[in-house]
Amino acid sequence: MTPSIEPAPSPGLPSKWKLAQTTAIAVAVAAVILIAFVLPAEYGVDPLRTGRALGLTRMAAPLPIDEPPPSAGGQVLAPVQNGPIGVYPADYKIDSAQFVLGPYEFVEYKYHLEQGATMLYAWKGTAAVLHDFHGEKDSARGEAVSFEKRERRQGSGVFTAPFTGIHGWYWENPGGETITVSLNSAGFYSTAIELRSDRTRHPHELTTPGGMAPPGIK
Amino acid sequence: MDHTIVRLPRNALDRPGSWLALVVTAWSLAAVVLDAHGVSTRDGRFLQTVNGAAIAPLMYLGAKHMVTGYDHLLFLVGVVFFLYRSRDILLYVSLFTIGHSITLLAGALGGVRADPYLVDAVIGLSIVYKGFENLGGFKAVLGWQPDTRAAVLVFGLVHGLGLATKLQDFALSRSGLTANIVSFNIGVEIGQVLALTAVLIALTYWRTHGSYLRHAYVTNAALMAAGFVFVGYQLTGYFIAQ
Repeated sequence: MTPSIEPAPSPGLPSKWKLAQTTAIAVAVAAVILIAFVLPAEYGVDPLRTGRALGLTRMAAPLPIDEPPPSAGGQVLAPVQNGPIGVYPADYKIDSAQFVLGPYEFVEYKYHLEQGATMLYAWKGTAAVLHDFHGEKDSARGEAVSFEKRERRQGSGVFTAPFTGIHGWYWENPGGETITVSLNSAGFYSTAIELRSDRTRHPHELTTPGGMAPPGIK
Repeated sequence: MDHTIVRLPRNALDRPGSWLALVVTAWSLAAVVLDAHGVSTRDGRFLQTVNGAAIAPLMYLGAKHMVTGYDHLLFLVGVVFFLYRSRDILLYVSLFTIGHSITLLAGALGGVRADPYLVDAVIGLSIVYKGFENLGGFKAVLGWQPDTRAAVLVFGLVHGLGLATKLQDFALSRSGLTANIVSFNIGVEIGQVLALTAVLIALTYWRTHGSYLRHAYVTNAALMAAGFVFVGYQLTGYFIAQ
């Protein structure tokens, strides 16, 4: 390899002292950037409180790990099959909810259903959203079983829970404009939970047909 | 490799302006490095739905990863910083390409899993290494310099391991696995050519100005700082994940 520029004569080399200084400066600059900005934003590690002051720590909100399963709440609505009829011990419930999703925001909305319990649903977005209809067993929380995963603008159907657990949708705005997703459902579910982009959880109130407040649910 | 030696300007880093330049450059470099990490979650979800060969999407993702994957790009900037002739550039970039292709293909096909944090920390160190080498650090400290070609090849292997690990984070389906991994690799090379072209255009333009060599020292020091940020970021992630 012939150098195309003149090899630097040895006086061009930095002194060891200069190099040590430069390296120390590089490390110091890196440390300040890391500790003041990167660690708070990425991991929520915030020794200088700069992350909190700048609102960076919010970006590192921990993922929900081993979240407690929403309790079956109220009566267990498990069907007993009698020929073509699934007999339930109590009334079904109805629910309608709306979710406003800014660009790249997502929401998860799930109902607790016993194995074999059914619901009827229809949802629609003001634009196409990334969508994953899935469930998680009460016994294996965190392991999502996907029933359908694709980009959709709407969906409707009848769902029979293949296992006891929470079942519902993941909707994500793929970017662009704000999208509103509206959901209506009726079914033998006992609770509903909303999980937002900021990882906060919000139980929803369910109503029984006829507007009577269901016993045991606030 | 004499051509990788920076002539130390008199008073480098002695003026306040240089300090500001160092901090600003390091910060912006670090910002893009961090943003570059990994394949985005949306692409990740897409990858999990892929069943069978998806040549064009995987090529696109490979190219996208390279064009937006500044950890690889910063290393390349360090590599070509003092390369002026296209023959040299071709040689070094080929060594890097051979290195990362070997480990990307072997790692992803053979299912070799390395800890992504540790691999990325070493990738950060490769940026520090190249910046330090460009400063003439090894010559000044050791009196000699490890062969740059060998270093580029070895760090190429590490970068490939990082690429393989990232691809493995997504459970790719068994069907069409080979075609998909090879497509990803080809996409990586396409992205590298595109990004390198942009880098070289910018460097060539900058080289016509006297400021190039004057700021070479600060630029490579900033490269080191960005590498250190990346190392710290990855090591912290490693210990937090334990």
